[in-house]
Amino acid sequence: MSAIYTLGIDVGSTASKCIILKDGTEIVAKSLVDVGTGTSGPQRAIEAVLAEAGMKKEDLHYTLATGYGRNSLTGIADKQMSELSCHAKGACFLFPNVHTVIDIGGQDVKVLHIENGAMVNFQMNDKCAAGTGRFLDVMARVLEVKVEDLGRLGAMSTKEVGISSTCTVFAESEVISQLAMGTDKCDIIDGIHRSVAGRVTGLAHRVGIVPDVVMTGGVAQNSGIVNALKKQLGCEIHTSPLTQYNGALGAALFAYQVAARKAK
Amino acid sequence: MSIQVLLDEFKAVASSPKQQLDNFKAQGKKVIGVLPYYAPEELVYAAGLVPMGMWGSNTKNISRAKEYCATFYCTIAQLALEMLLDGTMDQLDGIITPTICDTLRPMSQNYRVSMGDKMPVIFLAHPQNRFAPWGLQFTIDQYTSVKTELEKIAGKEITNDDINNAIKVYNKSRAVRREFVKLANDHCDIIKPTIRSAVLKAAWFMLKDEYTEKLEALNAELKALPVCDWQGTKVVTSGIICDNPALLAAFEENNVAIAADDVAHESRAFLWDAAEDEADAMMALAKQFAAIDYEVLLYDPKSAENRRGEFVANMVKESGAQGLVLFMQQFCDPEEMEYPYLKKALDDAGIPHIKLGIDQQMRDFGQARTAIQAFADVLELNK
Repeated sequence: MSAIYTLGIDVGSTASKCIILKDGTEIVAKSLVDVGTGTSGPQRAIEAVLAEAGMKKEDLHYTLATGYGRNSLTGIADKQMSELSCHAKGACFLFPNVHTVIDIGGQDVKVLHIENGAMVNFQMNDKCAAGTGRFLDVMARVLEVKVEDLGRLGAMSTKEVGISSTCTVFAESEVISQLAMGTDKCDIIDGIHRSVAGRVTGLAHRVGIVPDVVMTGGVAQNSGIVNALKKQLGCEIHTSPLTQYNGALGAALFAYQVAARKAK
Repeated sequence: MSIQVLLDEFKAVASSPKQQLDNFKAQGKKVIGVLPYYAPEELVYAAGLVPMGMWGSNTKNISRAKEYCATFYCTIAQLALEMLLDGTMDQLDGIITPTICDTLRPMSQNYRVSMGDKMPVIFLAHPQNRFAPWGLQFTIDQYTSVKTELEKIAGKEITNDDINNAIKVYNKSRAVRREFVKLANDHCDIIKPTIRSAVLKAAWFMLKDEYTEKLEALNAELKALPVCDWQGTKVVTSGIICDNPALLAAFEENNVAIAADDVAHESRAFLWDAAEDEADAMMALAKQFAAIDYEVLLYDPKSAENRRGEFVANMVKESGAQGLVLFMQQFCDPEEMEYPYLKKALDDAGIPHIKLGIDQQMRDFGQARTAIQAFADVLELNK
């Protein structure tokens, strides 16, 4: 029987990610474009992943969309699923012993409880940007640093600075006040990381923390957040180089399940 | 009349209270706005006036009401005032302002100040200690005060017989709505969440005898159909109000039906009847209020037993639902404070649930749609 190729597309609020899987086990190609739903990002990400794989859309057996913009891919995706289910699926593929997934995305935070490879409970943040990737974007802009440098800079902190975890707007005011007082940027960044971790920890305890704990989503690339979460949750947190692709990976895995059923 | 024609009529009424008000006024009727919760609408009906529920709006934004309201008032109360200030509902001949929660209590005075001489604002303070003879007497005293004000507006005395007749009309309406809720569960392929909401919401904007007649016709049509073989999942909804069609559409997109509800705007408004054989009709209404149980907003002397949480958990099991969706109205203190008890009862019963934060000014439900879709996946595993 010939190989089954499936495409998972994760159209997030701030980035578009694609993964092509062969037979539900082998990652053939992946792509990431730093703009998300409502932009050219999804289309560009699809073109990029097909180019990397040397494939045409007709070569794909099934395409599944997820993420905030999952409903916008009419005519491209065969099906759409929530990013929570896809993140659970992707995390189980990467870490078979996972029981808790913390996904910090561009505009929301999710904590998933996994049993026997399936999501059985979850919590999402309230309708508020505090504790999300957007929160970090806003803070990086105020501090005039790149968001990808936050982890490195926060690690150089020497003094504890408290930043509110209540609200992005209030926290921004606090950061500006700290800058006006001449507080070191690295200390402020460390305070921001602990603020985000505090917010996520509260949410995670509502679901319950059961090891292994895996962190997914773009913010998992920020070592400052991961370390702050480890301290506050008091447990090891696993991440993967594929962390930002985890939703797309889950989508491609679900797509494979459907395609394999159809192929029988 | 076909089911679709009836459903279209309910939808039209539910989506346009302003049109209903205009129609009543064109017929020369006087109309009284009734705010949440548990106002004795029977007295309004008995006075020959038309009661119209005022539960905010899903299409308006708070603007003029900001002049009078604290920011932490719920949008239901603020948007009800907005509609009185922006001309939508200012043809009303009066409003009744119950004061059962910490927002409605001060808000009753905001309504009074903002309306000035425009319309009477009738204050109603229900007692929390409502069971003892003195509690019943307090309710009667309050209802008598409301009755007196309504008599002034109606220009006629409300007799004991008038109230007894209204009780019969309302009991029948409540019974028919309870029957509809059960039929909606049996026929959730037809009575989808948006339709279910519209049918129940229309009751707030129609004279109850007219509404009952129409709903009886719908119930008869539904009863004649075989019970549907629902392949999707089912939930119980809980909260103060969940009538936004855009939000409820997310249930339909994911094949999630509503098996029953614990919603103040829906079933919690028609669970409890008044006695029809009580010599004193005002006492019958006071006893009806005292009999209300398992209610977030009212004092429960046995609250430590978490009877309400267990009542809701049992509702999920008995209705055949796999989980519960809680619509948490922003700034609703009673619901927020009750949530840990509800969560405990649901967790103890092994019933999954999600809590969706909502307010009536929300227009984008992207996050809620994601949560509902993910919850549907979880429920599918539990079937």
